[in-house]
Amino acid sequence: MTPSTVSRALPEFQSAAIGAEVLRLTNVSKHFPGVRALDEVCFDLRRGEVHAVCGENGAGKSTLMKIISGQYQPDGGSIAYKGEARRFANSLDAERAGIAIIHQELNLIPHLSVAENIYLAREPKRGWFIDRATLRRDAQACLDRLGVDIRPDALVKSLSVAQCQMVEIAKALSLNAEIVIMDEPTSSLTESETALLFQVIHELKREGVGIVYISHRLDEMAAIVDRVTVLRDGRYVSTHDFAATSVDDIVARMVGRSLEEKFPERTSVPTDEVLLSVSGLTRRGVFHDVGFELRRGEILGFAGLMGAGRTEVARAIFGADPLDSGRIRLGDREITVRSPRDAIDHGLAYLSEDRKSHGLAIKMSVVQNLTLATMDAMSNRFGFIDFEAEAKAAKTYIDLLSIRTPSPHQVAKLLSGGNQQKIVIGKWLLRQSRILFFDEPTRGIDVGAKFAIYQLLDRLAAQGIGVVLISSELPEILGLTDRVAVFHEGRITAVLNTRDTSQEEIMHHASGHSRPTAPGAATP
Amino acid sequence: MSDISTSTNSAPPSAREPGEPKARMMNDKKKDLIQKFAALASLMLLVAVFAMTSDAFLSVNNGMTIALQVTSIAYLGIGATCVIITGGIDLSVGSVLALAGVVAALAVKAGVPVPLGMGLGILVGAFCGLLNGLCVTRLKLPPFIATLGMMLVARGVALQITGARAVSGLGESFGELGNGALFRVVTIGDDGFPNVVFPGIPYPVILMVVAAIGVAVMLSRTTLGRHIYAVGSNAEAARLSGVNVARVTLVTYILSGSLAGLTGCVLMSRLVTAQPNEGVMYELDAIASAVIGGTSLIGGVGTISGTAIGAFVIGILRNGLNMNGVSAFTQQIIIGLVILLTVWIDQIRNRR
Repeated sequence: MTPSTVSRALPEFQSAAIGAEVLRLTNVSKHFPGVRALDEVCFDLRRGEVHAVCGENGAGKSTLMKIISGQYQPDGGSIAYKGEARRFANSLDAERAGIAIIHQELNLIPHLSVAENIYLAREPKRGWFIDRATLRRDAQACLDRLGVDIRPDALVKSLSVAQCQMVEIAKALSLNAEIVIMDEPTSSLTESETALLFQVIHELKREGVGIVYISHRLDEMAAIVDRVTVLRDGRYVSTHDFAATSVDDIVARMVGRSLEEKFPERTSVPTDEVLLSVSGLTRRGVFHDVGFELRRGEILGFAGLMGAGRTEVARAIFGADPLDSGRIRLGDREITVRSPRDAIDHGLAYLSEDRKSHGLAIKMSVVQNLTLATMDAMSNRFGFIDFEAEAKAAKTYIDLLSIRTPSPHQVAKLLSGGNQQKIVIGKWLLRQSRILFFDEPTRGIDVGAKFAIYQLLDRLAAQGIGVVLISSELPEILGLTDRVAVFHEGRITAVLNTRDTSQEEIMHHASGHSRPTAPGAATP
Repeated sequence: MSDISTSTNSAPPSAREPGEPKARMMNDKKKDLIQKFAALASLMLLVAVFAMTSDAFLSVNNGMTIALQVTSIAYLGIGATCVIITGGIDLSVGSVLALAGVVAALAVKAGVPVPLGMGLGILVGAFCGLLNGLCVTRLKLPPFIATLGMMLVARGVALQITGARAVSGLGESFGELGNGALFRVVTIGDDGFPNVVFPGIPYPVILMVVAAIGVAVMLSRTTLGRHIYAVGSNAEAARLSGVNVARVTLVTYILSGSLAGLTGCVLMSRLVTAQPNEGVMYELDAIASAVIGGTSLIGGVGTISGTAIGAFVIGILRNGLNMNGVSAFTQQIIIGLVILLTVWIDQIRNRR
């Protein structure tokens, strides 16, 4: 079964430059504990072609990439590379076979020169020493092939992000890569840098390199993309010739209509009482003039692409990062927040998206994590901890959140992701926080635990707590929130009533071109 | 605490445990016990071996000698443990103890009463610790560099103010702290010579026990102790939970400095002479005792009881090897190998 028959037999269009098939994945699956990351996905790539992979966060794009580049081994299905069935043991194996991946976070060593980076661990040698002349000449040749103006002697730390990308591509060329995978290559580039990148991509196409291109920026794709494959929830949706489809069509396929039973019924209605209002929040170069209101019992969504400033705004309100200007009001009282301590004393709480590095003290026990923000209430005035009160409080929240742990004294590191997340939530409930910022609370946790956390969010709102839900998963935003603030490049571009909006509308605001498509959408 | 309670999760055992002094994680506790047992067992083994090879080793007198010798490693090790739990390191304590002892001696020489002079010495140590802490928390210097700087500065100041000469002629009362003992029983024999029935418990040993218990209680039972572990386990998570990370870090360096100050006073008192060259490389003994006792240099893990065992392992090794006539050079080699071995075992244990 080829992808094109699945995609309702669109007219087969072959550009002259595009050559023979170089890669074919058939019914590839990948499971992680509790998650089906990829489910019978098909994908093929031809020489000299740019094949885009689109899908929401969590649709399985990165898993697919990691399988192609050998970082993951598929559980099912087959991979044919240049007509032969292949299995790559690891990324080095794939790299040797001619598959290079250019990661979003670039893997260059800043203190070495461009040439040294391109030939890292493959340095040309003369006897025991590096042959500097050859190194330099070969690096220059690679850069020339791409037509980019970067000196091989320049230190990588002196280059811009775009130039670093070029170096990565040159490195791929030097490896005689036949397939180059690009993960969000334009996410941190300016317009002119993007244009330069596209020139280089055209150059690669001319050389017969097949390119797997992953990006959220659908508008840019027209300039380079030949075909596009859409994934949703780890499943294959369709493959089209890009010329025969439209951005709106692709978005519709990415989103699908699968909102069904993944979310609990909201049991509460937000009140009119404003708990938190911020205005004019600015941190230079990060976010500008951000303002919103949060009501008692409301779940307010923060939607937007990665890097749009949602996390940064939440962290600044919580005092974790500095603010340049702006006002924060609790009810009608203006407050100043200089540190997380201040924010916590005002009843705010922030649950980080990066649980392991910002949320949990993983070497400490469940109890110790639960009470970490409440130690002052658990100890006498000499600082001696009341272990009885501590154990009692911890037990209450272990039961309330049904944290599954063999013992309250288990080290947090040994629990599952969902239970770890519950511990972090428990920490703030134990603190009696009234305003909770949840930053990607369901990232990396399995489906069952997700549902439990959704129920909990609803219950918290029903108790009159104000919840801000930062999520990159639009279904989550639509399934749970009352209103949604959409971020684009450090600004709030729209505040929408969740009931009256759609994924398409949010996507359009999030990508910067405010073109509401949903009929009857209104901002309050 | 039976095995059953760890393997079933039907009845949360929390209700039974709060009364327990060290209410820590079960699994970790088990591991901790194994580690302690391993360290303790090797300690016992050392004692047994030395007892067999040397007649004089297993005696009350030698026991007290060892305890006395261990005190300086232990004081410094207790401070080092707290600093290392936060993820830091204090390389300056060897120099700081010299500076503190010299200042105390100079003060006494200038007419200040002995207790006040020694108090001043401890204050000097605390001040050095404060500077270390400020360099780490305010100037954001890596702890290794900040305390390396202090190591050179404090030693330099100690040499400068004494002209690199020992300060002596301090009077008998200066030696009281280091040489006195509690419950010393001496009878006068028939021949008129004093006969020591029980050598007494030296004051430095009493101080060591007090300091160890005090800091152990602080670490396991107080908010400050909990915060010290939290900072070392995950400083950012601690900060986002409202822990004043800078203050907690500062406190550990001040504690380490103060204990170095105390060590200086005790050492100089034992010799009744203040040597500006005293304590060179002592910081390494302190760190070694903490590490042998299971403190992780990555931070977040460590106990005072472990460090005490570590200090005794080093002390007994030195003493026993001495009594067996092993040269000082060979001793260094053996102690070095012991450190490598214990940390390697620790790594294997943690990898599981």
